Amino acid sequence: MQIELHKKLKELLETAEYIRDIKGEKFFGIGSLIERVSEYHENFYDFSPGEVKKFIQETERKLNVLIEEAEKSLTPYEIVKITRHPQRFTLQDILENVYDSYMELGGEGEINIDPAIVCAKAMLIRKVGKNYYFHQVMVIGHEKGHGEEYRSGGSAKPWGNEKALRYMQMAETEGIPIHFFIFTPGAYPIEDYPGAAQQIARNLYYMAKLKVPTVSFISEGGSGGAEAIGLTDIRLMAEKGYYSVISPEGAAAIEAKLKEGRPPRELVEKCARALKLTAKDNLELGTIDRIIPEPPLGARRKDFAFFRRLKTELIRATDEVVLQTRNLKLLRKYALSKQEGEEFKFFVNWELDADEVEILLENRAKKYRKMTEWALCEPKSTFKCFLDLGQTIGRKIKNELKFKVFKPGHKTFKKFFEELSNESSILLKPVSDPVKNVYNLIVGKKVKPKFPSTILSDESHFYNIYNIPIDLEDRTVTCPQAEKYGCPDLWVPDLYGEFCGVCPNCGYHFPLSYKWYLENIFDKGSVKTFNDEIASGNPLKFEGYEKRLKKARETTGLNSALLSFEAKIGGISLIAIMLIADFRGGTVGVAEGEKFIRAIELAKITRRPFLALIHTTGGIRIHEGTLGLMQMPRCTMAVRDYVDAGGLYIVVYDNNSYAGPVASFLGSAPYQFALKSTRLGFAGPRVIRETTGQDVPPDYHSAENALKRGHIQGIWDRRELRKKLFSALLTMGGKNLYYR
Amino acid sequence: MKEKVLIANRGEIALRIMEACEELGIDYVAVYTKEDEASLHVKKAKEKYRISDYRDMNDLLAVADESKCSAIHPGYGFLAEDFRFARRVVMRERPLIFIGPSWEAIRDLGNKLFMKRVAKELGIPVIPGTTEPIYNEIEAELKAEELLEELRELGFENPTLLVKAVAGGGGMGIEEVKDMEEFRPVFRRIRAYAKRLFGDEGIIIEGKIPEFQHLEVQLLGSKKGEYVHFGTRNCTIQSPFRQKRVELAPGFHYKKEYQFDPQKVEAQIIKHSLKLARHFGYNSVGTWEWLVTPEGKFYLMEVNTRIQVENEVSAKISFVKGKQVNLIKEQIRIAFGEKLGYKQEDITFKGTSIEFRIIAEDTQRGFKPLSGTIEKFKWKDAPWLTVRTHVPRNEPYTIPTQFDPNLALAIVWGENFEEAKKRGEKFLDNLVIKGKTPQGEPLITNITFLKQSLEKVYQFL
Repeated sequence: MQIELHKKLKELLETAEYIRDIKGEKFFGIGSLIERVSEYHENFYDFSPGEVKKFIQETERKLNVLIEEAEKSLTPYEIVKITRHPQRFTLQDILENVYDSYMELGGEGEINIDPAIVCAKAMLIRKVGKNYYFHQVMVIGHEKGHGEEYRSGGSAKPWGNEKALRYMQMAETEGIPIHFFIFTPGAYPIEDYPGAAQQIARNLYYMAKLKVPTVSFISEGGSGGAEAIGLTDIRLMAEKGYYSVISPEGAAAIEAKLKEGRPPRELVEKCARALKLTAKDNLELGTIDRIIPEPPLGARRKDFAFFRRLKTELIRATDEVVLQTRNLKLLRKYALSKQEGEEFKFFVNWELDADEVEILLENRAKKYRKMTEWALCEPKSTFKCFLDLGQTIGRKIKNELKFKVFKPGHKTFKKFFEELSNESSILLKPVSDPVKNVYNLIVGKKVKPKFPSTILSDESHFYNIYNIPIDLEDRTVTCPQAEKYGCPDLWVPDLYGEFCGVCPNCGYHFPLSYKWYLENIFDKGSVKTFNDEIASGNPLKFEGYEKRLKKARETTGLNSALLSFEAKIGGISLIAIMLIADFRGGTVGVAEGEKFIRAIELAKITRRPFLALIHTTGGIRIHEGTLGLMQMPRCTMAVRDYVDAGGLYIVVYDNNSYAGPVASFLGSAPYQFALKSTRLGFAGPRVIRETTGQDVPPDYHSAENALKRGHIQGIWDRRELRKKLFSALLTMGGKNLYYR
Repeated sequence: MKEKVLIANRGEIALRIMEACEELGIDYVAVYTKEDEASLHVKKAKEKYRISDYRDMNDLLAVADESKCSAIHPGYGFLAEDFRFARRVVMRERPLIFIGPSWEAIRDLGNKLFMKRVAKELGIPVIPGTTEPIYNEIEAELKAEELLEELRELGFENPTLLVKAVAGGGGMGIEEVKDMEEFRPVFRRIRAYAKRLFGDEGIIIEGKIPEFQHLEVQLLGSKKGEYVHFGTRNCTIQSPFRQKRVELAPGFHYKKEYQFDPQKVEAQIIKHSLKLARHFGYNSVGTWEWLVTPEGKFYLMEVNTRIQVENEVSAKISFVKGKQVNLIKEQIRIAFGEKLGYKQEDITFKGTSIEFRIIAEDTQRGFKPLSGTIEKFKWKDAPWLTVRTHVPRNEPYTIPTQFDPNLALAIVWGENFEEAKKRGEKFLDNLVIKGKTPQGEPLITNITFLKQSLEKVYQFL
């Protein structure tokens, strides 16, 4: 009996400490209450059981009041603290309490390729009336642990995400649904193979067409780390969870332009508010589908009611995904309506047949295509909408006819003809060769053999190099490596003209303005931009952001950081996008994501190659919160769709490319090349130092190292960019390019 | 404002430019590097600046601004054919006159492939071969076979191909192919070599002309669109690295037996040269280099968009309205926008002249350039002899190791070839150059080689 009381006291102490941790020392004298409880707890035997009992009842009542009070005044940053608290439930608790049985795969505690990622084969039992039905699922998620060092707080290493991908593939082979649990402050930012960014990109790329129903549950959704296992058919979120593009501290550090140290507390709270990272906000933004309610101040390890609820919700969500693939709409509706509450009146088989898989993928694509579209700033009248729609459909039909109906016929015939002529030439050679020789002797001239020209004619390129006024200034610049290599000073018109911004002596690549690429890489006068009117906005009403956006618009004359255009290289027409440093550091938000998707869709319809030229990208724009973050899965799905359709997607990096975009729609490209001046990676040196506690060498993100780690396919010299792109267009890519 | 010329060169040509400026009444500024302090061009110039390198554009332009020059003469070598320098000179905020052709002409004519394409379009005969760089070996093989066929048609027996790196030159990145069997390995080898050395894999294939004479046409164009020529030169005597050693004017020995009519061929190559010059609006002195075969076929090889070392060979036999011409003076005059003031009919030719390039080199051991100190440098003056040198005659002179060890240019003139040859022999016999290498051995020069070569001039080699 006494032991029970002692245990109870311990619980009360933990609860009190929990409240203090969330709300702070000064919250309704919680500090003194903790002191008193710990006094009772420590000197337990000095008090009589009756006294203790009375104290417990009193304190329990008090704490309940406090919890209610605390819940009422909960701020977004306090929610972040709840999510991170060691007393909060973890994946281990879910595996034990939500699933009816489970077996961890590929790891056990510390003996694990990455203890931050747990994969398990689990079973759910559904009770319908008196019948029990068994569901097999694959569980993949982050394990934060309760402060163990080796879990690294749920930050998955690149190989951890790779492990997640392997078990996704296993579930796909077995045809069982996957439940993802996201408990991560972010991915562990190291570049070692397979690379933080590249592996996330690979995961997204694969998940885009994962052939089984997927459901994710977000408790702590930290940016790219969350996306690595977050592209799912239904996304659930814990009421006291947070889902954000960046931690409030990180946002504050950027806002305060800090290079070192901690940002001030007020700014962190302000950022937490501005980032709109709570479950409620995210539901409003449309980035999640449903909130799983939690008890006041959040569920902890022993909130069994919550686990029961979670189990029902997981089954319901999976049912929903599955039922949406079924053909009978009425039945679907009826079945769903019957699944209300904790009791199930229905059994739903989670296995999908081939047709249903197709519908599943279609649904998934539609879902993500629609997401965040509401936040787009696009001046458009209904008439224009209608017109655009008509144009798109028209173009689609035209190209379908051109490539699907006429071309294959032509191709088949050509193939047949080639085969025929090859065969016959073997047969006829002994006969025809002497004839040919005689013919040559008589005519005295050999018939010119035809050979397709693979040379990039640079005639047009030879003239009129100068276009941009700033590149024409009469001044010289010193190569930064002059001391080492003895480079002479360079005259600016030479440097930004024929030298392509490269020191001819040592090969140092100077940064160039984005206009240089538009003028010099593509055929003269072939660049035609489109969707220019789509503008970056301030959907979260992030304080002070409006002004900066306006300034960016004024200085660059652009509406967003992404330029999408049609262009030609050596006569080959292609669709290209460019992320531009001048506009908010080339960060990606809703407008940029939408423009990217529209451009790649256009490339798909018109069967043209697609080029992403990255002038610089600083990641996902934090001021657009999860709306920006959603561009990662959205764009990656578009990439997958395009590549699967047999296109050619090439990414060329220059200057700096970091974070979200590299970890999604850029990193998932089959062909990625970097110019010599590139710095490529997931997180910058400051973030790496703060997360891992280690300094990285200065060339950590260099193109050479990226190549060494296998992140890119090659390093190009900027002077050869045009030539290399041309030969890439001719030799790479799928079968569905218009010129093949 | 009085014009002022920055002489961005050294040695003999710097002296010639100074002389020309003085005769024209134009001020000039000389530049020199540390190694050239003892050179005559430094001693002679009143205003001079020391710079780090004759190739350093920044230094040169800084000197030009500091000394308030209005024009730059690049001489030959160094930056003379660097179109970027020419462009920078005229396009900077304080533009200067570049004494030479327009930068576009330097660029377009300096790009051999481009020049060849244009020439072909204009119907000017060029050496049979490709006019576009080739990167692909299958394509190259096809082209090579085509070319062999073409050469056979042209009458070459057992034609030989030359596989050349586009970016190469001066005998680097070039190999002969006699048999198609060895074509592919050679192509690959040269391509790999070109990529390693020049960073460009482009390859061209040309037919090898087995026997030829190297003729060149001296042109002069003004900014007013006037064109004249100063006849031809014969520069067949060269070092194995295609550097000229003996030059003669005129280009043919009209009394000699040829399989063709030399005067007709000469007229043809002059006509073609002028056509190309007009096409590019060429407005300075320039040299069009041709190969002439024993059968009288001729091919345009390249264009030198500068004053040449051997300019005086032509000048010695050319007379404008009876007065001997100075091509450097003409070049400067025209750069400042002056009219020619005479027509082709006013130019007459008289006699034969021969130029010898006297160089400290070991012709027995692969024409290895030598350095050392010259203690004695003597020759016998004569009215028919002109010696151009920056080497002082009254004191010892140390040959700088940074530059070509050219010591002097000697031009002899005669009423006819036989007389000029005799005078040349006489000059060479009397010429004394004594010196020591840094190792203390006697310094070797190419005098013996020049003497031997004199027997071979006007022959097809």
